[in-house]
Amino acid sequence: MSSKTSFIGAVEIGTSKVTVLIGEYTGREIVIIGCGECSSRGVIKGSVVDYRAATECTHSALEIAERDANERIDYVYLAQTGGHLEGFYNEATLNVKAADNMIEPSDIRTVCDLAKAKELPLGRMVVHNIRRPFRVDGRLVPTSPENLVGQKLEVGYWTVHGQEQRLADNIHVIRGFNLEVRELVLSGLASGHMVTSMEERQNGVLAIDIGAGTTDFVLYRNGAPHTTGVVAVGGSHFTNDISIGLRLTEGQAEKLKLRFGRAVVQSRDKNEKVWLDGNFSIGDRQFSRHAIESVTAARAFELLEVVKKKLGHAYSPETCAGGVVLTGGGAKLPALAECASHVFGTSARLGEAPSWVNENLRDPGYHTALGILYYGVSVQSDRSATTRRKSGFLHNVTRLFAST
Amino acid sequence: MSNDTHILPETRSWKDIPQQVRPRAMSGEGRRRMAMGSMRAAIGAAVIAGVCWGAWEVAAVLRDSPDSMPEAAKSDRVRSLVLVTDGVLDKTWLAKTLSIAPDATLMGLDLNQLRQKVLSDPQVSSAAIVRNFPDALTVRISERSPVARLMAQAEGSAPSMLLVSRDGVAFSGTGFDPAMVETLPWVDGIKVTRVGKGLAPIEGMRAVSDLLASAKLEAENLYRTWRVISLARLSTDGEIEVHTRDGMKITFGTKEDYLRQIARLDLLVDASGDPTRPLREVNLALGAQVPVAYGKASPILGPQPASALNASSARPQISSPVISSPHIDIHREL
Repeated sequence: MSSKTSFIGAVEIGTSKVTVLIGEYTGREIVIIGCGECSSRGVIKGSVVDYRAATECTHSALEIAERDANERIDYVYLAQTGGHLEGFYNEATLNVKAADNMIEPSDIRTVCDLAKAKELPLGRMVVHNIRRPFRVDGRLVPTSPENLVGQKLEVGYWTVHGQEQRLADNIHVIRGFNLEVRELVLSGLASGHMVTSMEERQNGVLAIDIGAGTTDFVLYRNGAPHTTGVVAVGGSHFTNDISIGLRLTEGQAEKLKLRFGRAVVQSRDKNEKVWLDGNFSIGDRQFSRHAIESVTAARAFELLEVVKKKLGHAYSPETCAGGVVLTGGGAKLPALAECASHVFGTSARLGEAPSWVNENLRDPGYHTALGILYYGVSVQSDRSATTRRKSGFLHNVTRLFAST
Repeated sequence: MSNDTHILPETRSWKDIPQQVRPRAMSGEGRRRMAMGSMRAAIGAAVIAGVCWGAWEVAAVLRDSPDSMPEAAKSDRVRSLVLVTDGVLDKTWLAKTLSIAPDATLMGLDLNQLRQKVLSDPQVSSAAIVRNFPDALTVRISERSPVARLMAQAEGSAPSMLLVSRDGVAFSGTGFDPAMVETLPWVDGIKVTRVGKGLAPIEGMRAVSDLLASAKLEAENLYRTWRVISLARLSTDGEIEVHTRDGMKITFGTKEDYLRQIARLDLLVDASGDPTRPLREVNLALGAQVPVAYGKASPILGPQPASALNASSARPQISSPVISSPHIDIHREL
């Protein structure tokens, strides 16, 4: 094994399942060597409500992944979602200090610090500070403005913050396995990065990740995340609606949703019936296909409307040339892209993982975990660039003690 | 505008959340991983400590190496032997034991070999030898103190008296005051095994030593009469038998506090002051119940001459057995 090789763990503690991916990063490429999955318990709408149950299933998934990879990981990147996550935009402007108006690194640092400095309400903590592109005298600078000439330097940050206790609960679940949480990554950002291309992000694209308990969305503009958000509605609400509307158990409703649910009503015949099980067993009964489709379509429409409403003025079809990209387990609902296209007034498609992803992991349910792994790789490559000069022996000794 | 002029509000990041959790909040696998991590750290620390210690040792060896000494220091002869001891051994013994050649130089001595010579005398429990430049050799020893004595005889040789220390080591006892040695009781009921040139440590001497120390401290008048300590029933019944000069047999139990037993014995001896009914046996090993056997009263057959009466009052009419020192055969360990 090369000394540059590192093992990156990505964990998504979702409402329906816990996914763990382990990647081997060689410094040039990442190979997914382990995958662990476990049905989630003790998690509602992305938040841990039963520590013991959530710990058990998360640790099971971690154990499976480590066994699969045949390697031991020391830290992970953790996906973060939940209705408690909110975001706001804050910007700062700075008059360039130098007499010749050339922007120096200290100017950039200062304006960034000013833009990030915003007091949060009690009990709230920053999860992400997402920088939007710089502006020098009003002109957009997609990369660093260092050494450019201008009088006024502007920058804005989209700050995502969450409730301290809920963030701590997720971290402690991982720490219970004696693993360090290296970074928290917003689920929407992770999955959005996986299903959109650089070109789409540059032109503007809206990525919507419909999970079981929550729906995360991220709007990209000018190649960077512009607005993010979480709606505490997900695929389980579709199931719940069918369960209440047709008076079924949750399991039966889930079965009907997966088999007959649609985001746009297709059935014209209101008398068309479908069987619950279709195996002539005792208790098997018939339901109107139209009714099932109506329930799921109404909920899908409502969900996408809520996302649109939350985006507010940030979204307009004109600034979102890339359209809408849907991902997550809930995005597998047939005709959801059609529904999204109708709601957002632009093209919509179901997101696909990049071609290098293994066939087994191409399901939309894995996009978040893959995105976290990808994020981990980018962080790791940044770190390795800065730590390359460190002495090998001393660094290893430090790591040995740090691992305890 | 500089960075220092800004007073920015403190925004708390998720990284401010302490990641430590209590072990009880961890799963079994998590605890196992933590233990493994601690073990790895401990092994790492041990390896580093080992490397440091090894480096220090190598440095010490190089520093003390004769090669690194000045030629003048190497050629200095041993002119004085210094003995520092907590016992009775003297310089004569030291010189005889070390038997250093007159022309031996200080740096030419093998200190490990000399130390082994000193330790070959079982009277010495620990020893350290250091060179004191320019010409002195200092020997620091710790000696064993005798608590009892025994008469041992090897096959085909004359019986000889040996002293026994608290840890059961038997030694010839060089330099001890004969008057002090005379006060020590004899040890009986043991089997002594020869190991190499010496004898194997005698088992049970710690218990005997505790008993003798308690008696000597709390009831010295009684201790002075003790002649023989028998360990015959120590391993089987946990009892120590003491035979006094007057022919009395006292049985002590090792399970009960010796002080209490000695106090009972003292009380009994004081209470039975009648010379016509001397105590013959006292068993203190049964707790509060102390079986006692008295000797027969000496019959008085009529008027006796004054000299005879005086003699009888001076020594009670009990058959005072002449207890010779117990004789122990030495068995060679196979």
